[in-house]
Amino acid sequence: MTPPRPATWLLRRVLPAGARGDTIIGDLVEGWRERGCTRRAAAWYSRQALAVALRYAWRRDRINQPASAAARSTRMSFDNFLQDVRYAARAYAKSPSFTIVVLTTLALGIGASTAIFSMVNGILLQPLPLPEPHGLVYANEVNGKGDFISVSWPNYRDWRARARSFDALALSRDEALTLTGGDRAQRLRARRTTANIFKALRVSPALGRAFTEADDAPNAPAAAIVTDAFWRAQLNADPNVLGRTLRLDGAQYTIVGVMPHGFEFPRFSFPRPHDLFVSMGPVAGTPNLTDRGNHNGFSAIARLKDGVSLEAAAEELRRISKALEQEYPNTNSAIGAKAMRLADQLVSSIRPTLLALLGAVGCLLLIACVNVANLLIARGASRQHELAVRAALGGGRLRIANQLLVESTLISLAGGALGVAVAAWLLRVLVAVAPDGTARINDVRLDGTAMLFALAASAMCGIVFGALPAFQASGIGGQHALVRGRGAAFAARSHRLRRGLMVVETALALILLTGAGLMMRTLQQLTHVDTGIRSDHLLTTRLQLAGDEYIGARRVAFFGDLLPRLRALPGTTNAALAFSLPIDGSNWNSIFTVADKPVPERAKLPSAAFTPVSDGYFETMGMRLVHGRRFDATETPDSPHTVVVNETLAQRLWPGEDPIGKRLKQGWPETPDHPTAPGAYFAPWREVVGVVADVKFNGVTSETPLQAYLPLAQEPARSVAIVVRTALDPTSLVPSVEAIVRDLDRNLPLVQTRTMDQVLDTSIARERMSMIIFVVFAIVALTLASVGLYGVVAHGVTERTHEIGVRMALGAEARHVLGLVVRQGLSMAIVGAVIGVAGAIAVSRWIQGLLFGVTATDPATLASVVATLLAVAAIACYIPAWRATRVDPTTALRAE
Amino acid sequence: MAPAYLGEFEQLLLLAVLRLGPAAYGLDIARELEARAGRTVSRGALYTSLDRLEDKGLVRWKVVPGTPERNNLPRRLYTVTAAGLAALRASRNTLRRMWRGLDDILKEPTS
Repeated sequence: MTPPRPATWLLRRVLPAGARGDTIIGDLVEGWRERGCTRRAAAWYSRQALAVALRYAWRRDRINQPASAAARSTRMSFDNFLQDVRYAARAYAKSPSFTIVVLTTLALGIGASTAIFSMVNGILLQPLPLPEPHGLVYANEVNGKGDFISVSWPNYRDWRARARSFDALALSRDEALTLTGGDRAQRLRARRTTANIFKALRVSPALGRAFTEADDAPNAPAAAIVTDAFWRAQLNADPNVLGRTLRLDGAQYTIVGVMPHGFEFPRFSFPRPHDLFVSMGPVAGTPNLTDRGNHNGFSAIARLKDGVSLEAAAEELRRISKALEQEYPNTNSAIGAKAMRLADQLVSSIRPTLLALLGAVGCLLLIACVNVANLLIARGASRQHELAVRAALGGGRLRIANQLLVESTLISLAGGALGVAVAAWLLRVLVAVAPDGTARINDVRLDGTAMLFALAASAMCGIVFGALPAFQASGIGGQHALVRGRGAAFAARSHRLRRGLMVVETALALILLTGAGLMMRTLQQLTHVDTGIRSDHLLTTRLQLAGDEYIGARRVAFFGDLLPRLRALPGTTNAALAFSLPIDGSNWNSIFTVADKPVPERAKLPSAAFTPVSDGYFETMGMRLVHGRRFDATETPDSPHTVVVNETLAQRLWPGEDPIGKRLKQGWPETPDHPTAPGAYFAPWREVVGVVADVKFNGVTSETPLQAYLPLAQEPARSVAIVVRTALDPTSLVPSVEAIVRDLDRNLPLVQTRTMDQVLDTSIARERMSMIIFVVFAIVALTLASVGLYGVVAHGVTERTHEIGVRMALGAEARHVLGLVVRQGLSMAIVGAVIGVAGAIAVSRWIQGLLFGVTATDPATLASVVATLLAVAAIACYIPAWRATRVDPTTALRAE
Repeated sequence: MAPAYLGEFEQLLLLAVLRLGPAAYGLDIARELEARAGRTVSRGALYTSLDRLEDKGLVRWKVVPGTPERNNLPRRLYTVTAAGLAALRASRNTLRRMWRGLDDILKEPTS
């Protein structure tokens, strides 16, 4: 146990060497130990160390021998500095409202930017919390369009045999496995992986062994390595856990290792950390995996060899894919490979959002800075008399400029400190509203880097924007401002500068407003997308028929038991089962072949999302039947094979024809349509019996894919979603649905229980988050800009009181004066708006990727944003203008 | 030479050192001030003030080896010098003179 090192380091730097310093540190250490070495004790220690260090830093040159001339001059400037600080603090205390406005502005600007920066830092900039993360590569296979389609097992074996760029090339995928054998069944988050993943990650189990090549062999005994968290939470941190078995999806897995504390595998699909790793053995020999044409959701994680660049490795994988394409044209046509850094892959979907937010918050920070500069200039202008007195009494220009700089730095740092508090609060809100499963969100915290950012932001505000008024003030002549009347030249100059800053501020605010407007339009479009289903009053949940008990006919029987009970629930109007849900996306994409048509070349074979559904599914989801019939009770395992297609598929394959009665087959032309051997894969020809309207399938923004619905009775999937339509609140059904399933089999946990409306909400969570943040930023920006505008116009009115008085004395009407002032204020806003529109168009391509249903240069949005800005600006100008009309000519003239 | 002028905090420090006897060191002095004078002491003020008293020749110190609970860092034991005692006496006499005759006004309310 040692007290906080930075504090001790500071003491050693500042205190005199030898016994004089050591004894002080010793006293503090003892005090720290006396206070129990707790966090509070550490805080006390740091506080006292800082107090001691400050005192000694100040006293140092006094303790030492008579000061040299140089030391005396340093001390003098240091004393000057302290005097400036004291003076500044007193000055701020004397005008509390000014101080509060400036501090609030700075706290908002610095706080918001520090919070967003922390997110960017944690998610995009910080290296992955894994050993030497820079050498970790993610690789996947891509189809002709460049979409990731996951790596087929035989292709992976060939990659591994031929690639020379990697120390280890591992294949793995996320699997949700059901753990049974305890008092209740439980879904676990597992990573099915080849043995060399641990070599690639350079992590080994803390207890037991890693997987070995033998664990990858077909039919090798199933092995599992649990994470530290799982070991502690579920296995009581039992040190003798090795050799125990877990029953996962009906198979026995032997625990061979426990991962070290603090290790976390990257989360690709699970919102929470993995529970365990499972070996390839149990699946390695299955026909599903050994078929080169099957892409089963695996992706590769590899460790680059020393000295091999990512580009070289990616190129090598592409070359191997090209070779495989020629060797296996049947399965590998148009299939390529793509590699990127693992860190980049993990955050690829959130990156554009974060960068847009960073840009937005940068705008906000600038606006805050400009606003503060404006306020400081205004204050400088009103203090010109004071400053002139000081100059006349012998205060050097440099000294006065220096003092103004100290003032602005002091308030910036105070604003920065408040900003950190705002950031800490805001960051908690941001992390809470971030969509579920946002990559690396758990790496986000307000750390030292973020503090440095806040400090840099405050310093920038203080120095750059404080320098403007300081520079201005240094031009003050000794006498002319003392002549009570007009420091006319100075006033004009400062007013010009303020108007210029105001234009910049309005332009920036307009850019932010545009972003917010576009996000609002996007969200509005998203929530009004016709999904093709009626999402209200629908409860969905998912179950997996794990293990050997449920094969083929047993599954059909289970579904046959389940459905009538669900439909008999009070308040339920219908219920059904489906392999994949709309919005949620596909679990089974496949090439298919159409009968009675010329077979296109292999790369052009159509692909569809295949979705086994029970009878009643289309009715339950509220999907419209376009043509033919829906599935009904006549679909049984033994009835003729049928299929219902969506409109997109019907139009793509049979444009202008009646699709009913046409035939298609999942798989390649040569895939057998009947079993050639027991257990061998086959896909029967199916007759189209109906066409249903398109539904949004992968989120609400993606185009609807070709879709083929198969009767669940003929294609009994192991994992199915339950959908229940009810007249009641759908969440109220959860206990009864759970009870029904438990009654049938207590080893079947239900997962992902949500209403369909929640599914929809989740799919637009990221857009909603962006919108909320943009709108909040825009409101703050607009407020700051209008306060700034108000300040400038009001200041102008004060300066022109005399002129206005003269005009009114000469017979100008109130509305003329009003018009005059408002016009002058609005002219700034209009120039700012024009520049802002140009700016918004210039940055539009950065934001386009985040939008849906609206272009980044949407004229309607721009127009309404400009109108909003000008309306607010008009109000901000009107108040001081109205005050100007109240000027009493006699008073104004007497002021002369 | 006239005794040095003592500020209030300096007086408190010297009195604390006297009360603690020959083993007075920083931590004890701070504790004594906290317990008896009811004021929390910033360590910054404590050590710089002790240094100032040393500069004025009112205290002196010697170094003794440290113990494990202070990471074996040495300890500085303070004693009040003759000049320190003289200064304290002078301060007390000054205060006494100033107090004299004011007891009626300043006495603690009894009712």
